[in-house]
Amino acid sequence: MADYMTIIIVSLYFLAMLGIGIWASKKIKNTEDYLVAGRSLGFWMFVLLMIGTVCSGMSLLGVSGLGYKMGWPTMWEQIFVPLSIAFCIIFFGVKLHNVAKKSGYVTVQDYLAHRYESPTALRSLAAVSGIIVSLIYLVGQYTAIAIVLMWLFQIPLWLALFIAMVVTMVYTAIGGLYAVAWTTLVQSVILIGGVLIMTPVIIFHAGGFTKVNEYIATVNPNLVMPWMPSGAFAIPYIFSFAILLMVGLACAPHVINNVLAIKDVRYFKWAPLVAFLIYLVAMVLLKFTGFAGISLVKEGVITLPNVPNAGDFVILHGLESALPALAFSAIFAVIVLAAVMSSTDRLMLTIGAMFSWDLYKRVLKPDADDKTVLRLSQIVVVISAIVSMLIAINPPEMLASLIWMGIGVMLATFAVPLLAGLYWRGATREGAIAAMALGLVSSLAIGFLNYFKTVALGIEFAKIPMHFSFYAFVIAILAMIIVSVLTAKTSENVLNETQTGWYFSKD
Amino acid sequence: MFGLPDITIIVFGIVTIIAIALLVWWGLIFKGHD
Repeated sequence: MADYMTIIIVSLYFLAMLGIGIWASKKIKNTEDYLVAGRSLGFWMFVLLMIGTVCSGMSLLGVSGLGYKMGWPTMWEQIFVPLSIAFCIIFFGVKLHNVAKKSGYVTVQDYLAHRYESPTALRSLAAVSGIIVSLIYLVGQYTAIAIVLMWLFQIPLWLALFIAMVVTMVYTAIGGLYAVAWTTLVQSVILIGGVLIMTPVIIFHAGGFTKVNEYIATVNPNLVMPWMPSGAFAIPYIFSFAILLMVGLACAPHVINNVLAIKDVRYFKWAPLVAFLIYLVAMVLLKFTGFAGISLVKEGVITLPNVPNAGDFVILHGLESALPALAFSAIFAVIVLAAVMSSTDRLMLTIGAMFSWDLYKRVLKPDADDKTVLRLSQIVVVISAIVSMLIAINPPEMLASLIWMGIGVMLATFAVPLLAGLYWRGATREGAIAAMALGLVSSLAIGFLNYFKTVALGIEFAKIPMHFSFYAFVIAILAMIIVSVLTAKTSENVLNETQTGWYFSKD
Repeated sequence: MFGLPDITIIVFGIVTIIAIALLVWWGLIFKGHD
């Protein structure tokens, strides 16, 4: 078992999160309060909610892991992921917020149903695909949380998962987006502060910035170049990686729905820059910790476990070697828990919203009263937590790939109907349904062909030069253009109400 | 510099500066109001 200090600090952290949930639950009067926090989020709350939602537990362990594996060519991840927050605010947030305030949208599916005059078909397709992708993500988050808790406390996997699930589920179920936003505020401060303190310790432990770079260049000169000569992280791959992260993450349901909850659209003026800078600094340091890990491993200072994803353990072992165990365990546990819980809670709430609001209230039972919808949201939050925990107890072998595939599927499914809907008056309902359905099916198909290294139609899918999602994204764009040109236009009235056109803001 | 080849510093430096410049420009031109 872990030392008492670690148990006390982690328990205090859990109690603080539950306390915030109980306090937030008193602010919930109706479904709008629960799902969009009464549209009351201030500047810092919103900025930190966006950072906390985008930064997951998998990214905390995986960013340094990828750096350890492939060096500087992977640094693009640290530019594109922070840019996804800016992209989401500028290209989706400004217009969606303005229209949402007038039309009372609670979810992005409300916008799609209104803009494309499709209250049932497109809304249901978007909600069901959103729930599937969010569940895949949620399972991945629980697996990350369990790895850290098991390692820290030497407790069985089911118990680690159960503790993490119960705490996050309780505060999310009772406090809705108020609880998610307030807990994320605290979690993001812990996360960013922790990374800023923790990562330089490991980097200096390995000899400092310049020495690490010089050392990894001797291991493999490609590790200090801006791209790899071929394959993953060569120039074509980096181009598709940019689209995947910047646009795919920006339109992920648990990220984009945050723009509906802001109090004042003027926060969108500087939020993109502030979020970008904070996240950039933290994530570059985290990635550089992975580079330091190469030096620490090669010089025999640390030894990684003999597992396929050994790189993901670099930050754990690097810190263990650089700091005394007593301080290390507790601090690191809370940082990883903060990272995981800040996206897990948002994912559960998003699944609750898509089921109770989009499928139940808007499609299955339009006359359902507000109290019933609110209770159903809470029940779905609990069910999604339990289901994803049960899957995470025995995770499928390809889990890590599924999570990466999740972002690719989000890109191919949601980006085209959203961007075309907001900016192109010619985009039609049939075009949006074709783009969404074909994007979903083709991204899953190409993703699996790529994962299983299939050779079909004369194509070696393991060796395609770009990320698989890029091809599905292009298919979705073509489907949107061709079908929209051939089908009846959306009414001028709706296009004006939804402020559709080549501008960010009509005011 | 910093143990890195010039091309790495130039490429990442330029991309980061362009990204920051674009976001500053957005902050200056955006005049959203409710």
